[in-house]
Parts: sequence; C-alpha cells; structure tokens
Amino acid sequence: MKPKVQEELIYLDMTLKLPFKWRTGETMGEFFRELKENGILYANQCPTCGRAFCLPKTVCTRDHTRCTERSKWIPVGPKGTLVTFFMAEQSFLLPTTGEMLKIPFAVGIILLDGAMVTLQHQLEETDTEKIKPFMRVEAVIKPKEERKGNIYDIVHFKTINE
Amino acid sequence: MSNRVAIVGIGQTTHSGRRPYVNDGELIYDAVTKALADADLSINDMESVMLGNMDLFEGHSLNDAMLNLYSGAAGKPGFKMNTGGTVGSMMAIQGWYHIASGLYDLCLVIGWEKHDEGPATPAISTITDPAVDRPFLVGAIGGLATVSVAYMQRSGCKLEHAAMVRANASQAAARNPNAHMREIYSVEDVMKARMVMYPLNLLMCCPTSLGACALVLASESKAKKISKKPVWMKDHVTVHVEYGGAQFGIGEKRWTSHMEAGAKLFKRNNITKPMKETQVFEMYDPFAFAIPMWLEDFLICEPSEGWKLIEKGALKLEGEYPVSPSGGVLCTNSIGDSALLRVAEAALQIRGDAGEHQVTREVKQALASGFGGSFWSDLLLLSKTMD
Repeated sequence: MKPKVQEELIYLDMTLKLPFKWRTGETMGEFFRELKENGILYANQCPTCGRAFCLPKTVCTRDHTRCTERSKWIPVGPKGTLVTFFMAEQSFLLPTTGEMLKIPFAVGIILLDGAMVTLQHQLEETDTEKIKPFMRVEAVIKPKEERKGNIYDIVHFKTINE
Repeated sequence: MSNRVAIVGIGQTTHSGRRPYVNDGELIYDAVTKALADADLSINDMESVMLGNMDLFEGHSLNDAMLNLYSGAAGKPGFKMNTGGTVGSMMAIQGWYHIASGLYDLCLVIGWEKHDEGPATPAISTITDPAVDRPFLVGAIGGLATVSVAYMQRSGCKLEHAAMVRANASQAAARNPNAHMREIYSVEDVMKARMVMYPLNLLMCCPTSLGACALVLASESKAKKISKKPVWMKDHVTVHVEYGGAQFGIGEKRWTSHMEAGAKLFKRNNITKPMKETQVFEMYDPFAFAIPMWLEDFLICEPSEGWKLIEKGALKLEGEYPVSPSGGVLCTNSIGDSALLRVAEAALQIRGDAGEHQVTREVKQALASGFGGSFWSDLLLLSKTMD
C-alpha cells in the first residue's frame, strides 16, 4: 500500500518590497561622472602595489592603502580581452528591479586594456559557439545625451576582430 | 594552548525539495533531538547553542529569536550567524572557538535552510555591489559558471568530465538515505539536461533543498568521559578572498581563498601527501566542476590533474581518494546546513557510521570544506585520534 501523501496545511504568501538608496562613494562617483560627462573609462592606481583598478576602488584590498590620488588615474579601454563568461538560458528574478532577467543573457569577465583587475558586463554576442575566452571586445558607450552616470552608460561589450 | 575539541553528537534531518507540513522551527528541532540522542545528552547539558542560515532565503531576519524554543538556546549564550555558503562550517568552527577557549565544555551548533520558502537566486544576488556587479552576476550560478569556463580553458577539462562528476555523485547519494536527489544518472543523462547558465546545465548545479543538521561538540575531558567514538577537530582554516578577478589569474597572479586555505592547513599539520594522509574529503561542491577544480586549488593534486582523477574513477566511494561519498552539495543543498553536513558526514566516515555510503578505505583523518559568501573558504581537518 502506498503511504498516504500528507495534505498541504496552511501557508502565507509574503512579498518583501523594500526601497533602498545606495551611495556609490567618492571613487565610483568620480568614475561615473567621467563616464557620463566625457565617455571615458578610468582606472585608479594603488600607490603601494601599483595595480590599476577598473572598476576603480577607494582602498586597495591587499595593502589597505587609499588610492584616491586623482592625478594618478589613467584612461583604460574601451577595448579589452574577454577572460571568461557565462550565458543565462534560464530567467531569474532580479533583486534590484523586481523584474525577470531577459534571456539569453551573456556576461563577460573583461580585462580592459591598461587595467590589471577585471570587471564584468553584458556581452552583445549570445551564441556560446562564438564566445571564446581571450577574444577581443570593446565597450559600446551610449551617446552623451543618454548617459546617466551609471553602469548602464556602457550598453554592452561587442566582439571586435583584431 | 587551546583546549582540544571533539564532535560527540551528530544529527541531521532527511533532505528534500519540499516539506510543506513542516515549519522552520520544527525542522530544526528534528536535527537537534537527533544530535542530542546520538550524544546521549539532553538540551540541559548544552552550555551554548548557535544557529546559522541565510536570513533572506526565508525572508526572516534574526530568526534565532523566534526559533530559540526549537534550538534550545533560551537562557544560554548563543548567536545567529550568516556567512553564506560557509555558514554551516562556520557554525562548527564557532563551536570549536567556544570550547577551545576553555569557557565551555559542551556546545550545540545548528545549520538549517528551508529553500522552498523563498527565491534563492535573487537573495544571493544581493551579496554583490549594487552599483556595478548586481545587474551582471546572477546569483551564485553566474559566478560559478564563469569560473567553470576559466577552468576548462586552463586545464583541458571538458563538459563530459563535469557530467562524470554528477553521475558519480548520483550513485553516492543513492546510498545516502538523508540525501535530497537520490536518482541515479548516467553521464549521458547529465549531458542531456537543460542548460541553465552555460556551461552549467540543470544537473550540474546543486538543487535547492531543505533540511537541518546539528552537532554536539565537547571539550577533551568531557568527550573522554561521555563518548565512545569522539571525532577530534584537529585544525581548521578560514580564508576570505579579495572581491574581484584574482581567481582568474589574468592580469595578475592567480590566487583564491581555497589555495590559501589548503596551503595553510597542510603546512601547519605537516601534511605533504593529502591524498594519503587524509582518507576522505567531504567537499562543499555546489557545481559539477567544483570537485576537479578545487582538488587542485586546495593543493591536494597538481594543476590540471583534477579531471584526470575523475576519468580514472579515483574519487568514487570505493576509489583511491573518495570525495563527497554522501553525494555532496551536488545532490543536497539546504545552504545553511550544507557546510555543516560536510563536517557531519566526514565525522561519520571516521566513526565508521556512514552506513551504505561508508567508504571502503579505513578513515583515520578526513577533510571537510565550506565555500560561499563572496568566494571564501573553510577547510577542516578531522581525526580519529587526538594527535
């Protein structure tokens, strides 16, 4: 005899919808200002170990040194090398917007020319056969009037042949 | 020198994808009573009680306040912890700290999760920087998929090897009555599964499970009095990693928290041949590339050798170096107890009490690991004898 399947008892549906404001801080704020006003991607440098970060950071993780000396910032990219990637073929709920992810969605880990630390961003290409680690990519930046000073000012990274 | 610490009680619930007739506390109570029964002790003997899980998964912050009647923490020192995937192993390590300090003789640690109650992937996505990373790194799977592609690229590992790992895990889990996914899959079955995030298909990702695990830890003097089969927590290492791309080794030298953890633990314990000096490894393996890749990162085998060990069948339950003979996280992932289960299962292997999934080699020392948060690592060394 099959064991009796227990019936579902009472449950409550619950949705958390909480508004937040998140400050980007002085370094990312400056990075976004440059991106918005001049369309240039900058890396900052650690005065102790010399690493160039893009996306920039206020403090070097390893040395705990402040890296905010503005004269040491260097323009990087917009070309770079794809290090690795993933390709979402299933959609998920996005916590930032409460919307579902639009698939297919390919994300690359990218090392911009001149930077020593990688960043991640969306890839234009979504055919996994055509995405190869170490292929060359370039940031597509929105026209000035559409830029808002956030990460979406970079539309995506397109594949380039060189 | 700190006091020595032993595991003297082990309890876990069965694991599944859904248990609609059980609430959070009832789930915990099940594991706690099993661990106390295994130790032949009562809740009144416990001097501190600690609870760990992922707050956001059930949409319930600081849930230890509501759950203390089930955990048994009322009136005792205890705290709630959340360190992501490592929360379970951190519970074992926090229990160790309590007892090693000499202030406590008996301590109860609990890890639990009820994955059927909330959306795990958006909850995990909230660990990343909202301004720059959160739109692009989708949950844990996004990050793990990128490290998988990078591993295939540098080591020569193929998708088929990941499928072999999952097929092996399914055979192990079929022998573990507490595992969640106990269906047996062939390599072909795994290869045919629906793609979730290239290169990880549905079977190459861990499931979302619910369950709880509890351990009773004791000081040396207490353990010798009350336990016939104490398992000694010989050493442990926790390493937090740099948030960023160092794990890919591009633009700078490759460096991961697992590499740092393995190097420290083995050096401190004079272990030069981990596959000989430890006999089993319960690894936190949340995706199918984890076992070959992280055996290399923990410095247990040479770079690019991990997938060759899979090919040889060396990591199976009856193999030369069994890894995750319980079926691992690949078959059971109730996050808050996943890493505590690794410690519990490694201890059961040392006691010889793993039942159907007991490995064939004699186990004197075992490794257990935790992984999570923003790529950080716990690595524990358990031993049958004190020294």
